[in-house]
Amino acid sequence: MFSEIRFTLNGEQKIYTGDPLRRLIDVLRDDYGLTGSKEGCGEGECGACSIIKDGKLVTSCIIPVAGVNGCELLTIEGIRDTEKGKCIIDAYAEGGAVQCGFCIPGMVMATYVLLNNNPDPSEEEIRVGISGNICRCTGYDLIVECIALAAKKGAALWQK
Amino acid sequence: MAEVKCFVPQTLQEALEIRKQYHAIPLAGGSDLMVAGSMGAGVTPKFAGDVVVITNLPELKGIRELDDGSVEIGACTTSAEIAASELVHPLVRDAASRMGAIALRNSATIGGNIGNASPKGDMPQPLILLDAEVVLRSADGERRMLVDEYIIATKKTALRDDELIVSVVIPKQSFTHIFYRKIGMRRANAISKLTLSAAATVKDGVVVDFRASSGAAGPKVARCRKAEEILIGKKISELNTCKEEFLDAWNGVISPHAMPEYRRNTTRRLLTHFIDALAAGHPEGRVE
Repeated sequence: MFSEIRFTLNGEQKIYTGDPLRRLIDVLRDDYGLTGSKEGCGEGECGACSIIKDGKLVTSCIIPVAGVNGCELLTIEGIRDTEKGKCIIDAYAEGGAVQCGFCIPGMVMATYVLLNNNPDPSEEEIRVGISGNICRCTGYDLIVECIALAAKKGAALWQK
Repeated sequence: MAEVKCFVPQTLQEALEIRKQYHAIPLAGGSDLMVAGSMGAGVTPKFAGDVVVITNLPELKGIRELDDGSVEIGACTTSAEIAASELVHPLVRDAASRMGAIALRNSATIGGNIGNASPKGDMPQPLILLDAEVVLRSADGERRMLVDEYIIATKKTALRDDELIVSVVIPKQSFTHIFYRKIGMRRANAISKLTLSAAATVKDGVVVDFRASSGAAGPKVARCRKAEEILIGKKISELNTCKEEFLDAWNGVISPHAMPEYRRNTTRRLLTHFIDALAAGHPEGRVE
């Protein structure tokens, strides 16, 4: 009773023919093996499952796969080997942003969107940028500092 | 239970035919329905019937100004898009910008927020203050009604089972003073404990228009035109003396259930703040 669902996933064209009401996070993790996106709350509140849909940050646990028909998706796997992705990940490592690590893929995705839109954010703008990402180790200050570090070290990448 | 069918139409016309034939539940952003039906990790959420996914229908997206100066917002326009649009009234942008956090605002839609009819939904509150209308379409025609009439009570709306909300129309409105507050547990990512919009027009020292609407304070967003009329026509020098009568009348719009003392007291303080600003000759614009 439904048509195929077509979308681009990390640059590759995908045609999905399963149940269109499955949650996008389940399809990403179970069908495509992209286990970088984590499930925390399952209610779109914690940000651990954040991915980028048509350039915008979304939580993949509250979107049915049918909701990305015709869209371009980027997951942490799609950015980790890019210049920008490496810039963020290196800054997180250098500044010690990572404690248990569970929230980090989502934090990196939020950072990627933030710096793409605002290459030189203030501390307040950084905090707003990750306001939908919960870190239960509560290590926010180091994450905020590392995002500022990524903005500074990668200035040439983000200023475009 | 019969297996739930899911339809993914490519056009609005197809979606309307599906609504007519199967009465499938419309799913816009998914941020309410996917959570309400959640069965946990790895399991498809449960729905009460067939589902029609309208998230990406191009006819339901976008914001445009109409010839009469009103602004039409497509039902599947997201909160983030509304918050960013200079065409949209600032009170509606305020409400959109305070919903959830960034990712949620990129999924949640205005049509979904109205259609879900949660008393804690953020969009209906300023829309009802502004006398906004929903445009409802079926395969057989179109009708319009005030958002205030469309939402009947908690989770109850006037939507027929063959219709879709296609857009929201906000009439051209201008006020000299506006005020918006959302009270939640945190600055971001909070469900409203209470919201309030207020708007007034003061001309030559006289209040010629005054409106307020309370969200999350009862089974639906509440406006009290009888209370509003107490202030309309008054000189700002008279506001101090008629304020108490207005505030007492407004108490009646706050539901007696669920911490009425807290909601009434907080609402009184917010309204007092706004009225005092008017009485003090606050310059035109937003009252903080």
